Order: sequence, then C-alpha cells, then structure tokens
Amino acid sequence: MRRFLAIVGREWRAYFLSPLAYVILAAFLVCSGWVFWILLASLSGPNARAGQALLYLFTNTFVWIYLLFTVPMIAMRLFPEERKSGTIEVLLTSPVSEATVVLGKFTGAFGFFLTMWAPSLIYVIFLRAHTPIDLGPVASAYLGIALIGALFLSIGTFASVLTKNQIVAAILSFAMLIPIFSAGLLDVLLSDPSKTDLVNYFNMWEHMEDFARGVVDSRRLVYYGSLTAFFLFLATVVLNSKKETA
Amino acid sequence: MIEVQNLTKTYPSQTAVADVTFSVKEGEIVGFLGPNGAGKTTTMRVLTGFLPPTSGTARIAGHDVLTHSKEARAALGYLPESAALYPEMRVTEYLAYRARLEGVTGPAVKSRVAEAVDRCLLGEVAHRKIDNLSKGYRQRTALAGALVHQPPVLILDEPTVGLDPTQIIKIREMIRSLGKERAVLLSTHILPEVDAVCDRVLIIDRGRIVAEGTPQELRSKLAGTPVIRAVFKGDVAVREALAGLSGVVRVEEERAAGETRARLECLPDADPSEDVFHLAVARGFVLRQLSREALSLEDVFVRLTRHDEAAPAPAAESAPTSEAAS
Repeated sequence: MRRFLAIVGREWRAYFLSPLAYVILAAFLVCSGWVFWILLASLSGPNARAGQALLYLFTNTFVWIYLLFTVPMIAMRLFPEERKSGTIEVLLTSPVSEATVVLGKFTGAFGFFLTMWAPSLIYVIFLRAHTPIDLGPVASAYLGIALIGALFLSIGTFASVLTKNQIVAAILSFAMLIPIFSAGLLDVLLSDPSKTDLVNYFNMWEHMEDFARGVVDSRRLVYYGSLTAFFLFLATVVLNSKKETA
Repeated sequence: MIEVQNLTKTYPSQTAVADVTFSVKEGEIVGFLGPNGAGKTTTMRVLTGFLPPTSGTARIAGHDVLTHSKEARAALGYLPESAALYPEMRVTEYLAYRARLEGVTGPAVKSRVAEAVDRCLLGEVAHRKIDNLSKGYRQRTALAGALVHQPPVLILDEPTVGLDPTQIIKIREMIRSLGKERAVLLSTHILPEVDAVCDRVLIIDRGRIVAEGTPQELRSKLAGTPVIRAVFKGDVAVREALAGLSGVVRVEEERAAGETRARLECLPDADPSEDVFHLAVARGFVLRQLSREALSLEDVFVRLTRHDEAAPAPAAESAPTSEAAS
C-alpha cells in the first residue's frame, strides 16, 4: 500500500513539475470560463427557464470536448515517458507488482484530473449566489464527471502502455475514446425500440444528464467501474508482455 | 548472494544468454565483462526479475527470481544502463521516492536518504533538480537510488559509462567501498575498470562465459612469454650484455631520439628486471625506464572474444551438432 502511494504521489507531483500540466490547466480554465460566460448570458435572457443552470453547466457539448481532448493528453505520458528514460526498468525491478504500477500511475493521473476540475466549483458558487441550486445534484454531477473521467483515463492508460511515443499514445487513446463515447449516440440511426434500450445503456450523454439531475443509478456505477477495471487489467497484461521488448 | 545455474534466455530470433552458471558471494565484487551485445544486460535483467529466464535458475539472497520474485527484488539494488532518472525531481525527492518504493517507511526514509547522499557525495546537489545536474552527478544519483534501501546485493549495469576520468575514479572508489559488505555484480566493456575494481571477472561472449577468475589469474592463464622493456639514455650497446642475463631468451634493440630501447623476452616465471638494473649500474648506463610488460587484460579479452572466420559459432543450437560430429 505504501509503495502504491509512493507511485501515486510521484505521478501526481510529476504533472505539476512539467509545463504540460499548467498548459492543460490554463486551457481548461479559459475554455470552461468562456463557456460559463455564454451560459450565464443565455440564462439571463428572457426566455430562459429557471433552475436549469446546473443541468446546462454539466451537460453542454463542451464538457465532452474537454473530456475527449484533455484525457488523452493527461494519460499520454504515463508509460512512454518511463520507457523513454528507462525508469520503467527501475520501477518494474523494485518489489512492486505490475498491477500496482498500473493502478498507481492511473490513480496519480486521476488525481490530476480531479485537480483540474476542482476550480470549476467556483462556477457553482457563483451560480448559487444568483439562482437556487441544490447541492445534491452538484455532488452527483461531479461524481458523473469523475466516473466518466476514470473510464476515459483507464483507456488512456491502456493506450500509453502500447507505445513508447507520447503523441502516438494520445492519438490511440483518442481513437479508442471516440467510438466508445459515440456508441451510445447511435440510437438516432435505429428504429427498433428494443435495440434502442441496449444503445442507451452505453449513452454517456444520457448518463451525464442523469447525474446532473441528481440521479445516481447503481447500473451506471457498475458500468463505469467495471469498464475502468477492464482497461486497467488490459494495461497490466500488456505491460507484462512488453518487458521483453523494452 | 547471487547464484545463477544454467541460465538460458532465448528470443525468437536469437539466443542472448546460453547456459550461464556463476555465483557472487557477500563482500565480493564481480565484473561482468564482454563486448557490446554479449548478453550482459540480458543476464542482469533476468537477475533483477525484469525478464523471465527461458530455462535455468537464478537466486538473489536465496530467493528464486521467478518463483519468489518480490523477495528477490527486495534484496537487490539495480542500476540500469544509462542512469534512468526522473529529470523533473530533486535529488533528495527522487531518493525518498526510491526508498518508499523499496518498502522503507516512516522516519527511516529520511535517514536512509541522508546516508545515500553522504555515501555518494551528493551533499552539494541534494536539493537541485536532476535535470540540471552534470552527467557525473546524475550517475551518482542513480547509484544512490540503487543503494538507498541498503540491499545486500547490487547489480550495476555499466556504472561508469560516459563519465570523465575523475568521475570514473570517484565512482570506482564508491563501488569498492560498497563491495566490502555486499555482493556486487557490475558489467562493463571497459577493461581497466575490471582491473581497478573487481575481485573476480567473468568474461562473456555471445551469451556464454568464456573465462572466469581473478584479473591476475586470467592474465597468467593466457599469458605467453613475459616481456621486459628497458630504456637507456644515449646510444649504448647493451644487447649482448642483456642477452647474457639468466632467464632472458631473446633481446631486441632499437635506437631512437637519443635513447636505446631494449625488449627482453624471458622464460616463463623468470623476472630478470633486477639484474637489468644491476647491469646498468655496473656498466654506468643511465637507465631511464624499466618495466615489465604484463599481458594486459585487454589482450586476454581480445584473445577470448576474437571471432575467427574458421571458428564454429558457439551458438546454443550448434552445440549438440558439433558434439555429434566429433
């Protein structure tokens, strides 16, 4: 456990010791601030419905753009950096299992992801000053962001084990994220209602709307939890087999 | 502390290590010498649990690297090739991370880091970023990282590569002092290093151990005729006088730049160098230089690893065939 925490701590700090973290953080804040301003402008118009502010804050298209773009960039350095510098050898010859390494690195990256989202709480505080906001849905919306972020990051972690090149890792994870994300949006193509149910099970957009409404469905927890675990498992298997070619 | 039995590591296209057996005791520094690509790094990677062996066994401090991998890995400190470090970290930060990763906990982390900093003379740069360090300091930081948890076994892959001569001397001194209470296996393709640091040498070539022994043993085992070189001031006729000394077989003489250089080939075990000195005194020759030309380890190494076209390739696959043929 202590060794796991050593890896998590190093990984999380490593983000803040490189310019990449600040670029991602700054870009995220600029974009989300801009979107927040648009949101406020439109909500203060005469046609806006009351009490919808929170829903818009978490379910606008831009949230998905942040997630789909930032996660590959957060995850891309996890393993390629270690393999390029050779520190992977140090890591894997210390008395730590491969699973601990993958989990530790993933958790460190996830910590950074959460740190990135933390400043967005300010928007909630601002909104709360002007419009009634229930804190329950705020918590569940953040839970949704965390769950989706965890799944995306586990895919990014898996992609980063596959290659020594950070850019390739980022492109790979992007290429895996897009189909997984958009599979749930296929219902527009389907007319058969029985299949729509199945597709809806994967519909992250809908999941996020539920979370932002304050609905925490245990099926969602299982869905995200098991998929995240699956990709981390894949990453561990690949890490094990990649040693031969390190 | 390190025991390797019939270790073989094959890749689909080649045999990297073939049937290697050796051991390293506590308090011993063993040099793993071989040309590039001979299988040094592969053997070390198997020992550190990074790669699984194809066949054979390796034990670190009594723990099998395959079946008791964690215990084995906990007992060793490994310095990989090319001093792998995290450039963004500070020296003490990195050492504390390595210590925690190896299972050191609580206040012990701080004291172990301080000891490693002391031991590897990193005091001056302890709080600097690794990125900004010179290559020598980086190598020392990597070495400190390998020994911060005070393991009984140290495996060092080319610890002095890329350093300047002063730095090399410092690192060697460090390794020698470390070897007093540990088992150290270090790889190198630099021959003087083995002479300077190691108690014993394993020469590996194409995945096989081709010679083993102390540097002196290897030299004497493979040495031909001992040779003595003497340089006299001025143009002096020494040839006959030298040839008359006991133990001397043949003398070559050469005159250049106001000197007379003589090369004496002697009988095995003979050392007429004192007689050469007395002769010079008696005849009033000014002796400028007198040296015994030992067969350098380099010569031994070249002899062992030279690949003559005619020689059969000592690859693992060909071994049974050649036996059958003979």
